[in-house]
Amino acid sequence: MQRIFKGLLIGLFLLSTYSCTKTDNQPGPNAGFQGRLLDVTNGKNNFSTETGGVQIKLEELSWSETPTPQYIPSKPDGTFEDTKLFSGHYRVTPVNGAFWPVDPVELDINGLTTHDFELTPYLKITNFSHRLSGDTLIMEFKLAAPVTEGLPTIIDAQPFVNITPYVGAGATISQYTNPPDQSKPNKIDINSNWDDSIAQKTYVMKVPDLKHGRTFYARVGVRVNDSYKQFNYSDVVEVQVP
Amino acid sequence: MKQLQYIIITILAGCMLAACHKLDVAPLNVIRDKDVFNNENGITAYMATIYKALPIEDFYYRNEGSGFNRGWEQFYHPGAICGELVGPYGSTYDAAGGFGYWPYGDIRTVNYLLENLPKNAVNFAKEKVDAWMGEAYFCRAYFYFALVKRYGGVPIIKNVQNYPEQPIEELQVHRDKEVDVWKFIAADLDSAYLLMPEKSVRARANRYVAAALKSRAMLYAGTIAKYGSANYVAGDARDQGYVGIPASEADGFFKQAWDAAKLLEGHYDLYKKKMDNKEQNYVDLFLDKDSPENILVRDYSLTSNTAHSWDATMTCRYMTADGLSRAYPTLEFVERFAGALPIVNPDGTPRRFNNTAELMQGLEPRLLATVYFPGATLRGRQFDTQRGIYDQFSGTAASELGLNPPNAQYRHLSGTTDALYQGKRIIGFTGVSTNGDDMTRTGFYVRKYVDYNRDQSQCGLYMSTQSWIDMRYAEVLLNRAEAAMELGNTTDAVTVINQLRDRAGAPPVTGAITIDTVRNERCKELAFEKQYWWDLRRWRIADKVLDNTRFHALLPYYILNEDKYIFLRELEPFQRSYTFEKKYYYEPIPGGELGKNPNLYPNNPNY
Repeated sequence: MQRIFKGLLIGLFLLSTYSCTKTDNQPGPNAGFQGRLLDVTNGKNNFSTETGGVQIKLEELSWSETPTPQYIPSKPDGTFEDTKLFSGHYRVTPVNGAFWPVDPVELDINGLTTHDFELTPYLKITNFSHRLSGDTLIMEFKLAAPVTEGLPTIIDAQPFVNITPYVGAGATISQYTNPPDQSKPNKIDINSNWDDSIAQKTYVMKVPDLKHGRTFYARVGVRVNDSYKQFNYSDVVEVQVP
Repeated sequence: MKQLQYIIITILAGCMLAACHKLDVAPLNVIRDKDVFNNENGITAYMATIYKALPIEDFYYRNEGSGFNRGWEQFYHPGAICGELVGPYGSTYDAAGGFGYWPYGDIRTVNYLLENLPKNAVNFAKEKVDAWMGEAYFCRAYFYFALVKRYGGVPIIKNVQNYPEQPIEELQVHRDKEVDVWKFIAADLDSAYLLMPEKSVRARANRYVAAALKSRAMLYAGTIAKYGSANYVAGDARDQGYVGIPASEADGFFKQAWDAAKLLEGHYDLYKKKMDNKEQNYVDLFLDKDSPENILVRDYSLTSNTAHSWDATMTCRYMTADGLSRAYPTLEFVERFAGALPIVNPDGTPRRFNNTAELMQGLEPRLLATVYFPGATLRGRQFDTQRGIYDQFSGTAASELGLNPPNAQYRHLSGTTDALYQGKRIIGFTGVSTNGDDMTRTGFYVRKYVDYNRDQSQCGLYMSTQSWIDMRYAEVLLNRAEAAMELGNTTDAVTVINQLRDRAGAPPVTGAITIDTVRNERCKELAFEKQYWWDLRRWRIADKVLDNTRFHALLPYYILNEDKYIFLRELEPFQRSYTFEKKYYYEPIPGGELGKNPNLYPNNPNY
């Protein structure tokens, strides 16, 4: 009796699991999308960003006119790549960065598709120089605006310091931007629309109390009051504090 | 043979007896329209369903997750994502996106009443029908207000929709413009005001409740029009008017807010039963059920299984019977009252106190009634809050808070209340621990709404029964003052603010006031009443106030060799930083709804 029962159970189990063996005949995510974010003002160099700064918004239009968007985060060198996408027709838009909004592009992604975006930054950090005075890093720079017409209000400039070259608003040692004592945040408030006085001014940013015997990476960022409030960055500088 | 006989008889009996019943019987387990709309009890029961679903942001309400459902963790307070409190949220992101509130089922319940009650009006006196219709308009406005402040423009549904009678294309409605939704709310509240009587039973609306809600809603609309047209996120939804209100509409909304608030004058009053002790008066205002200040309340009881957990989750276990606390007022909130606390001497050294309670001397009674300071007492137990012990302390507070604190070598902290140093307890039973957050992180505890009369053994989970005051006259006065200020009527704003400040025990404002004066008064008066988050949003300053911001604590230390106490203004121990992304000025339309109805696109900008 028990043997029959067991046999039945095994039979049922086999039957029930057999239904799981049907293979999925849809193609997997075998396509990819990559490219560069080009700074049109800078001899086609890549746009200065940081890890997780600019994102490429993908909307797959193959199935629905109103898809849920997905995003590819950019790399700190201003490139992006995702090799696990489904082939199909997409609408792509670079978003979440400090650049003038660009129109979306519709394209087919098949295999490894490459597309470069040309972006115009809101602001540029020019004449950037740095020096070390004791344990204080001094960074000097000027601001330039490739397009001044309709530029949103400039909020502030902030220093970012990290112990790796991956440095930006999302990767910074907070005590150098927000000192732990009662003093104000270490930043330069601008809160003004673009005018000539901003263009002519040389800004001096100081980061005091760097730890001795360490190597730091630092850069300056400046942001405007647009939809995203992201930063336009200077180059990253490496400083060795003696 | 006999068996056959039985079978035949049984079959025959079965056929004949069954024929005595009609099969088309209305199901007894479904309440039918005639049960509801033919008698007053039916209507009352129907109303109870609506009021129960009303999105009152009470003790239970949280900005994410379970939303209006009834969890015990009342420290998941919306104030804890924006710096009124520090709490269990890791950052603003944790709760800024909402929980997909979409109460069209409840709105349908209201619309059903609005359609069917007039058909059955012959059953009742006209005043009663009018009053109920007014309540229904009020409730519908309340639902739409909860929607529009989250999402901007949503579909306005005024009639009962039926499925499958109506085709799906007809039911897939489009969004309405944000400005139209606000105007619809104003119209519903005007209807409610005209239809309802002056008085109502407790926890239900009358005409002044509708006016109070209107003053709140129109103030929101006015500020969104004025400030949202300057600080916004670009996108399709904005271009098409689904989010954002033209700036030209602002003054009209402010005028409506002021007019509505003015209607309540003389019908409600500030709570002033114990003005010889303004601190106690302010505490009792939130506990006295007969307060003339209460406009709309929600009650709780053990028997109806609705009791909440405010007492058990706002102060620590030292004062309660169960649960734990995790949300604590920030020093930034406390400093709204009179700026920096007097904890530093003119020469920069920390001021020495004989005991921590000394700090409370001379502070505004309303502040002391809103927040438990170190040294305060609850249920016979003192808030013995202490961060640690210094063997000795020399130098200034500022240098101790810098990168190289000179006295750090003499400082002793602990993660447990058992730890002793030279026979002295290192931290208090009420904190501040280096371990966990079930004791204060900032030195303060929430006092507002805490029932000090309740025995400690009765302070367990789901045991608190104090009422939530959804609307009180103080808020209406603040709505009026803000609207007046926005309309340039400074005199009226000053008059109103000074009524509140007198009750609070604060000195009257004199001289020129700005909109910030009015806003700060609102933040103080309505602290922890789940308004601050919405206020920061509608003033469109949240992205500036919460810009990689970290909040501060008031941490008491005992100095061993002096036998004195000092307070240091430090970053709160978890050092969390809060950032408000501009897209959070609107929540995303819930994904499930977008899936069902593609006409709800475009979604709000940047989602």
